[in-house]
Amino acid sequence: MVTGEHAFIRAADPDDAPALHAFYGTPLPCSALLDVRREPVLATSEELRETLDHKDAMRGVFHAVEDKAGRIRGFCGLRGVNNEAAFGEVMFMLLDEADYALPLAREAMEFTARLGFERQRLHKLTAHCLEAESALRAFLMDFGFVSEGVQREVLFTQGKYHNIEVLAFFPPAGAECQPGV
Amino acid sequence: MPLKTETFLRRAERDDLDTVVAWMEEPDFQHFLYGDPARSPKQVREQIVMMLGRSAGHTVPGAVYLMIDSKAHGPIGLLSLQNISWRNRACNIDLYIGSKHLRNRLVTGIAILRALEYCFDELNLHRVGAIIYSFNTPSWRIFEMTGAQRELTLRGHVVREGRPYDMYGYGLLRGEFEAFRERIRRSAENVSLQAMIEALAREDAEKTP
Repeated sequence: MVTGEHAFIRAADPDDAPALHAFYGTPLPCSALLDVRREPVLATSEELRETLDHKDAMRGVFHAVEDKAGRIRGFCGLRGVNNEAAFGEVMFMLLDEADYALPLAREAMEFTARLGFERQRLHKLTAHCLEAESALRAFLMDFGFVSEGVQREVLFTQGKYHNIEVLAFFPPAGAECQPGV
Repeated sequence: MPLKTETFLRRAERDDLDTVVAWMEEPDFQHFLYGDPARSPKQVREQIVMMLGRSAGHTVPGAVYLMIDSKAHGPIGLLSLQNISWRNRACNIDLYIGSKHLRNRLVTGIAILRALEYCFDELNLHRVGAIIYSFNTPSWRIFEMTGAQRELTLRGHVVREGRPYDMYGYGLLRGEFEAFRERIRRSAENVSLQAMIEALAREDAEKTP
């Protein structure tokens, strides 16, 4: 467990399945939970429990973010790590949009960045945002992510098409890790 | 006026296996698309058998692999439609012209046109995406000619020969493809065999002293 000033961050475990399941019930799907085809995944709590129990897949890369009172406020982690090109995709989601403005969010993202740049030795982190995820986007931009473009009309839900923006975050200048080296 | 050529798409068959294996082992295929040079021919063959096994015959395939064939030249290349989302009506497209002597703008352009017609007219998709490496300039130029928009510039996203390169993400929406087809149709509106014969006759007359 990582104890921050505002958050506890720990590896997610099967008992977190109900908290994680809450993210699948939002009116507009979370961009972090879309699959490779940009389709929302409809998972039951039991399926999530099984996934979180899969040590190879989840342990060490997917984390629960708790506040100081021990309530789960969200999840963070990495997926789709490409070791050759040294990049990975950030999964970052907080249940309450207002939480993106809290120091807890910054602590969790700093932890995720360290996970990518120091432990996995990546040179780039990517993240995705739907248009409606304005709080997440503002948070990512404030953290230092830059836009790499917008994929148009890539997700169809609630009777209309939605765009997805791709953002990237690079380690500070002078960091050792470079792709392909 | 429809564009009539001798190039057509068809499902890949067992007889195509050797051709596709040979293409996928080419350094060009691995440089411009994907693949691992360390793989044995047996592994490549097994991958292709698996790919062809989940072809368009399935009810809702996640990927479709087709051969680009020609009456004049035989099998020209391989077309793969991946990450097909029937919910979003979208897919990603990969296209490889295996016959090196046919890698020109005309053959590639016609192959892409046929592929896009298949995506929009047969599969009824709304969006076709393509990921193209920045150093593969001829490919992204041809894709842009169809009306596709460069939506993403992913910095340092692919490594070749130890160097990172940018990767471009393109998207082509149904309306953009229809506008492209309309441009082709209009450009061919005044073309007729009679007019061509008359033009040739005029040229001959001008050359005659």
